Amino acid sequence: MTPRLLLAMLATLALLAGACSGGGEAVDVDGADGSAEDVGLDDDGGADDTAGGGDDTADDTADGAGGGTLVAALGGEPDMLDPHTTSSAFSFRVLENVYDTLVQPGENLEMEPALASDWTVSEDLLTWTFTLREGVTFHNGAELTAEDVKASYDRIIDEELNNAFRFAAVEEVVVVDPLTVDIVLNRPAPNLLTSIGSFKGMAILDSDDIAGGTDLTQEANGTGPFALESFTPGDSLVLTAHEDYWRDGLPLLDGVEYRFIPEASVKLTNLQSGDVDWVDSVPPERLEQLEESEDVTIGRTAGNDYWYMATNQAREPFDDPDVRRAIAFALDPVDIAQAALFDAATPNETAIPESSFWYLDHAPFGQDVDQASQLLADAGLADGFTMDLMVTNEYPETVDAAQVIAAQLAEVGITVEIRTLDFSTWLDEQGQGNFDSFMLGWLGNIDPDDFYYAQHHSEGGFNFHGYANPEVDELLDAGREEVDEDARKDIYDQAATMIVDDASYIYLYNPDIINAWSPVVSGYATRPDNAVRFVETSLG
Amino acid sequence: MVRRVLQALLSLLGVSVIVFALLHLVPGDPVRTALGTRFDPDTYEALRARAGLDRPLLVQYVSWLGGVLTGDLGVSFRTGQTVSSAIAARLPATATLAGASLVIALVIAIPAGIISAVRQGRPVDYVATAASQVGVSIPDFWYGIMLILIFASGFGMLPPSGYESLLEDPLEWLRHLILPAVTAGVVTGAILTRFTRSSVLEAMTADHVRLARAKGLPERTILRTHVLRNAWIPIVTVTGLQLATLLGGVVVVEVVFAWPGLGRLALDAVEARDYPLMQGAVLVIASGFLVVNLLVDLLYARLDPRISYA
Repeated sequence: MTPRLLLAMLATLALLAGACSGGGEAVDVDGADGSAEDVGLDDDGGADDTAGGGDDTADDTADGAGGGTLVAALGGEPDMLDPHTTSSAFSFRVLENVYDTLVQPGENLEMEPALASDWTVSEDLLTWTFTLREGVTFHNGAELTAEDVKASYDRIIDEELNNAFRFAAVEEVVVVDPLTVDIVLNRPAPNLLTSIGSFKGMAILDSDDIAGGTDLTQEANGTGPFALESFTPGDSLVLTAHEDYWRDGLPLLDGVEYRFIPEASVKLTNLQSGDVDWVDSVPPERLEQLEESEDVTIGRTAGNDYWYMATNQAREPFDDPDVRRAIAFALDPVDIAQAALFDAATPNETAIPESSFWYLDHAPFGQDVDQASQLLADAGLADGFTMDLMVTNEYPETVDAAQVIAAQLAEVGITVEIRTLDFSTWLDEQGQGNFDSFMLGWLGNIDPDDFYYAQHHSEGGFNFHGYANPEVDELLDAGREEVDEDARKDIYDQAATMIVDDASYIYLYNPDIINAWSPVVSGYATRPDNAVRFVETSLG
Repeated sequence: MVRRVLQALLSLLGVSVIVFALLHLVPGDPVRTALGTRFDPDTYEALRARAGLDRPLLVQYVSWLGGVLTGDLGVSFRTGQTVSSAIAARLPATATLAGASLVIALVIAIPAGIISAVRQGRPVDYVATAASQVGVSIPDFWYGIMLILIFASGFGMLPPSGYESLLEDPLEWLRHLILPAVTAGVVTGAILTRFTRSSVLEAMTADHVRLARAKGLPERTILRTHVLRNAWIPIVTVTGLQLATLLGGVVVVEVVFAWPGLGRLALDAVEARDYPLMQGAVLVIASGFLVVNLLVDLLYARLDPRISYA
């Protein structure tokens, strides 16, 4: 019996391990950011969007309040519900609707008032004074005060939670009066609003929950349009409308039921069969067919995320910028985007998409195999070399793109050995510098400092590939403090140009953000920051 | 009996050591994974210390074991839930699917296996053998999706995925259960069919069966009293193993049908390197194996008077 049991156990483990490397839907993670919330305060009933509302019969009356429960399918599930400690994009697809931040990204991702109705900056640029909106209540009935803001920010800073780095410039948070709070800085920070508002990881919690030790991983108490009703891991999560939500007349729905459906094609079948009303993504290969379908409305917009390839500059030959440039010349981002996402992406040789104020039109590479071969020959690598490329099935698009990258680099004599790892191992290898190159994406960035500093400053926390250029460091430091927007844009344009020309990252594309919903859904807008907001959504 | 239980506990201990060691040997780190690519060294150290991961491995293991002995399986790194509540929440769905799948498997396998053995070499045998071959070969992943496309998408008769509690809505419970149970059941059934057929065939060649036939006993009587009684033992053994496997969670079926079972829980735990949850899940799955095995052994004694556990 004992050996039999052991065998069986080992078999189970092997099975789990096998399943583990087997792939699954993509998703998130890297950012904590899938989010950011909507809304402007004043555009209340506004049809904000794309939503395909109109084109269907809608025999349902529902309109305005009493709008029924929307069933939304997610490709994965929240790990936990504490906005300050989770980094799962699936958590934020829920929390977006439960919590608020002081400010939040509007339609163009510019920061708009949310819990703060307005703010001023002192002359020395070191004190930001926020005035809180009056009469905002948490789901438990408590009123929002400046104490809640202070307790929330102090929690992130003092406990060194995931987003503590966003407060690097913050000296202290001071309660001035119940509806006024100061954020005191140790240096000017023009991007403070983005730091505190770009996504719900910076949510304002009830200070009593923090002091009282409420288990926020399983419970939630926010100021957002929906309150948590129940959370059943592995299955579903239910939200109900917050009666006293601070935007009058919203939300329109009675509630939202999220169902967790990991298999992409099954998720889509649920939408087509009417079992769910909205899905968080569709398999890119099905996109074309779905866009022609009358039963499904596709929401699609150019996203702020970007995907890139990086080489380990602590290793030869990648310490030579010309070798990195040769790789960039050998690649065709158009083909790579096609392989990864069936063209549901925009090839881009810089990080920031064209829709952003911070976009820089700079594309020095394009595919030029001759140029690539020449650069390699000049570097003494005319015979080519072998390198590994680390990708992860957590993000299947990297696995697909890797095939094309390998084929294109083979043209110039570079042999690519693809390493497909589970994400946990991938991160470990990245952290220890055990790679020649890798492909991944950054999700949810809005301010240029988020796009460049941590990744390309020689002291940057996410600079795993070891890029160091003193001029870039200087520019990125300056960009953090420059308050004039045009001057700041100029600084980042210069920095980005160097980063691209040095091939610190080899930028590939900005993926489209894609959601899909049933024609009975209206008032939903697919957003470039991938924030999922149901506040203005209705059924029928 | 006492010795067997002690033996079982010792096996559990061994399994827990192996699992603990394996999980710490594979690359990957729960805190890094939780932070994702937005890695901050200060946060990383703070989180590691809070999770107790900065302690020596042996200390971590002993403190975990101490917790287990006092009924405390710890708290999941990934979700912040207690491990025991996370696992308990998955048990009803897991038991439902395992039970239903096994019933379907047995309903298919026992008659098909016996008929196919008795009619060895006849068309019915070929059909049954071929069908079970197909059942074993087709990946349950593909098969589950086909069922969804046909019965949920095509005819719209059944929901494509999800789970409903029996206590809340028995009809919906059944409707949600059918497709995943058929998927897991048919695969298990195919395995059991082949096994039933071969053990019946083997029992049919035994000397006492040849003797019975020589005595001129009717085939039906021979089958019932001489063949099946001996064939049951291996069939029950394999059925027990299959049930234990089903109870451990059928990961692929759970993923396809978004079924909130133990398998997906364990898979998520492995992916996140969520040590407490993974060890708790393995402990429960291993205990399930032990209990099923014990029941199987007890069943032997009933089926075969020659076996006894005095």
